[in-house]
Amino acid sequence: MADARSMTPAPAAAATAPAAGPSLLRGITLLTVAAVIVLPLVLPSTTLAAEILIFAMAALACNLLLGYTGLLSFGQGIFFGGGAYVASLLMIHLGAGLFTALVGAMVFGAAVAAVVGALAIRRTGIYFVMLTLAFSQMAYFVAYTLSDWTGGDNGLLDVPRPPVAIAGATLVDLSDPAVYYAFVAVLFVAVFVAARRIIHSPFGSTLVAIRENEGRAAALGYDTRQFKILAFSLSGAITGLAGALYAMLLNFAPLSNIELVMSEHILIMTIIGGTGSLFGSILGAAGIVLLGDLLSAVWPRWMMLLGIVLIGVVIFMRGGLWGGVESLYDTIRARRAHRRTAP
Amino acid sequence: MLRRTFLKSGIAAGALLAAPALVGRARAADGITLYGVKSMSGGFASYGKFAEMGSQMAVKDYGDLLGAPVSYTTIDTEGNAGKAVRKVQEAIQQNGAKFFNGCTLSSSALAVGKEVNQAGGVFVTPAGADELTGSECNGGTFRWSVPTYGAINETVRPLIAEMPNAKRWYTITPQYVFGEALLENAKAIFAEKGIEHVGNSYHSLQEQEFSGYLTNAMAQSPDVLLLLNFGGQSSNALRQAVNFGLKNQMTILLAWSAGLDQFKELGPDVIEGVYLGAQYWHQVDTPMNRELVEKVRAAHGMNPSYPLAADYIGTKIILDAIKAAGTTDGAAVRKALAGMTYEGPTGTETVRAADHQVIKDYYLLKGKAASAMKDEDDLAGIVSSGRSFPEGDQIVCKMA
Amino acid sequence: MANVYVFQVLNGLGLGMIYFLISVGLTIIFGLLNFVNFAHGAFFLLGSYLCYTTVAWTGNFWLSLIAGPLVVGALAWVAERVLIVRVYHLPHTFHILITLGIALIIQESAIMIWGPVGKSVPVPELLQGVVRFGNFAYPQYRLFLIVFSAVIGLLLWLLLERTKFGALVRAGSENPEQVALLGTNIFRLFSLTFALGVALAGVAGVLSAPLRGAHPFIGTEVLGLAFVVVVIGGMGSFSGALVGGLLVGLVQSLMTSIWPQGASLMIYGAMAAVILLRPYGLFGRA
Repeated sequence: MADARSMTPAPAAAATAPAAGPSLLRGITLLTVAAVIVLPLVLPSTTLAAEILIFAMAALACNLLLGYTGLLSFGQGIFFGGGAYVASLLMIHLGAGLFTALVGAMVFGAAVAAVVGALAIRRTGIYFVMLTLAFSQMAYFVAYTLSDWTGGDNGLLDVPRPPVAIAGATLVDLSDPAVYYAFVAVLFVAVFVAARRIIHSPFGSTLVAIRENEGRAAALGYDTRQFKILAFSLSGAITGLAGALYAMLLNFAPLSNIELVMSEHILIMTIIGGTGSLFGSILGAAGIVLLGDLLSAVWPRWMMLLGIVLIGVVIFMRGGLWGGVESLYDTIRARRAHRRTAP
Repeated sequence: MLRRTFLKSGIAAGALLAAPALVGRARAADGITLYGVKSMSGGFASYGKFAEMGSQMAVKDYGDLLGAPVSYTTIDTEGNAGKAVRKVQEAIQQNGAKFFNGCTLSSSALAVGKEVNQAGGVFVTPAGADELTGSECNGGTFRWSVPTYGAINETVRPLIAEMPNAKRWYTITPQYVFGEALLENAKAIFAEKGIEHVGNSYHSLQEQEFSGYLTNAMAQSPDVLLLLNFGGQSSNALRQAVNFGLKNQMTILLAWSAGLDQFKELGPDVIEGVYLGAQYWHQVDTPMNRELVEKVRAAHGMNPSYPLAADYIGTKIILDAIKAAGTTDGAAVRKALAGMTYEGPTGTETVRAADHQVIKDYYLLKGKAASAMKDEDDLAGIVSSGRSFPEGDQIVCKMA
Repeated sequence: MANVYVFQVLNGLGLGMIYFLISVGLTIIFGLLNFVNFAHGAFFLLGSYLCYTTVAWTGNFWLSLIAGPLVVGALAWVAERVLIVRVYHLPHTFHILITLGIALIIQESAIMIWGPVGKSVPVPELLQGVVRFGNFAYPQYRLFLIVFSAVIGLLLWLLLERTKFGALVRAGSENPEQVALLGTNIFRLFSLTFALGVALAGVAGVLSAPLRGAHPFIGTEVLGLAFVVVVIGGMGSFSGALVGGLLVGLVQSLMTSIWPQGASLMIYGAMAAVILLRPYGLFGRA
């Protein structure tokens, strides 16, 4: 039986192999920038576009663990919800500004993820998955019990959205939804570029090596434990940031942020989009959020379709949406090549 | 390599962007649109389905308002407070939406209320959280349902009056703000009436297995078991209490029931002889309710349930207020709604200006035996009804 | 108060036996197929609804105890042949994804068929009474559950330990290739085991319908509990599911008298602790 370590199917992994070279790297980044610009133009609203980018950020962070390190974590909701709470509490109780709140959420996300990661990676395969699931449930109960801080079931209300300011001077007011989208978009692209940098660095190659064959990576002298914990912290920091941005978008941090369902959703977005490709995470987040947004207005039982999509992806499109795009491209290219060689 | 990338970009961007453009939503740009925030999909679909019927019917029946027909748009919360808030924001920004009704979940209602208030709109909700017309009240949020104070006062007091010898009460409470509020109100009455509160069991918001709590209750041999949970939890607590034969040992009062849907789910075997607090009951004999019951029977072949009635009237009073104001200006409609008196399902109801709480009856029902039922929905009879609301200094709300 | 604790132990036993029934199917499937079934809770839910429908049509609870598991098992068999057989060789990620998909389809179909409002099933007439002990009472139906689950457990144990099928299942979980070489159709064995494991979830669903009713969103909660039990007992271990189930049931019941809000925290905390300290559970083999 296959081990949980080799999570990614081969074709998707090939797409992001470092050998693909710098032009592809630039191309994907360009593609991301293009998507970020076009999204608000074609969607019904900028808030919807912002929601998609925020979840894309969370899915991207999940992808770092699942696609590049081979760790299937059901704990992403802990970092997402935790980031939302920490940023909100910093702003509400300490009057923190925008960047303090965001950095606070990232630090918190990274720290919690390091602890969760350090414990969870002591086991592999399905036991690893079950550990993250248990931590996720425990985090939910902690948040629900600390209702004086988190608002419990009612959620944390009146979360502010402070302006971009330097030394007390307001530079950009974010209260307009379009401006807030632009702010989220800039952060998203920054995170995306940084994540790609990391993946294509020696650190990233080591993570992939661990995913492919942990024993060999260890034999080569890598402390695989430390690499995995670092990957967790990185993922936690980005997810925490996404959670904080979500709270500012809604002016509200609901308890559902930290529920197991949130972790499940982030995972589904990641896998549907395609593990092993960061751009896939945008596709996955957009696909799932739009599915709910567009279909739920028409058909209350739309989750049935989500179920069918999940099964379809597993049976027909294991590389996810990105894998689908790739094979489509390959088919077209093959046909063209065929036409050219034909007399 | 570059060409490959560009082609890919094209395909990917196309796939990503074409979908929503194709399914783009068309919404009425002019005329009055009422937005129903309902949990159509997700974990609270059992409420959303009937709430949606109520709002739709209210809009359809209304006819023209300020010289144009009213249109209605559903916002599906997907059972998630975050989604609800985001979609409400979208409606406000894209369509200038101002008039909202719905939200079953307290968390959604509180946050949606804040958004609508900020946009200068009007939001009427039947949600349970006292904060809505208490500590988190605001100019745009109005609540139809009776707060925990009234729910306890209109159930516990009449039951004490009916059973003066029942001196020992035990409570089972979900541990969060709503449950605590019910418990605090009950304790105040116990103290006032010299009732011995022989014990309380807290349980978590996820609990569905009540055998342990029921055993704790049995250990104290109370005269009355007061259940302060609601929804699925109260159904399971009640079902299991009957299983344990508690009905023969003590009187059971469920202070905050969900009304007809819940009674139908449980059936007469379970609810016979149980006292049930309710916001609404289709047998209430008021002119407006008789009319409503007839209409719902004609349209859907069923009796109106609580979510249906609550969102019917919640939607209708927004439209009434627009009519009274003669404009769709948010501030004017708020002014018209605050202090408005109208014929509601529970009789003549008033929107209290001080905290935007609707002043209406709360009911104490008693479950009937199967043999005593006149039709399949005749599951309970009204024992008493009345109005209790925090007054004067007790009103927490400080309207800005 | 000592008296209360005695009864909480009895409650815990009753609860624990239901938890055992819910989880034993999950653990058998994991043991033989190394397959993680996230749709287990959904099949449980289907069992509850089938119980409701059978009782509504025929008024006979006992009939539903036969019909429910049979239908659930048959559906599981089809799902295995059509879908699941294609993903055995894939990593766990895909097991989880495909069964999450199946679970969603079952849940939404249940809402379409039976409506979003839950359904109740009366306790069978024969067992409606309670057994009294002074102030306390214990429902006959729950006593029946303890005995009935024990019988099912015993039959299952005999099946696994004393029959050729059981021997193959056990051998198959150790070394599937070897069993295939011996001329057994390993895929048929897999299908049967999957259907059996899921049918057990159906049995649990039917049995708990009079206690909990049938509700479209009960599946997730049940799944979480089953995972806790299976992990604590050891994934793939039959006796682990029994001991794990009883342990979780007892802890949950006793906590209601000690620190109710903490019950869930405790249970998931225990699950994490077991994985960290005794990775293969109390009874699992490495």
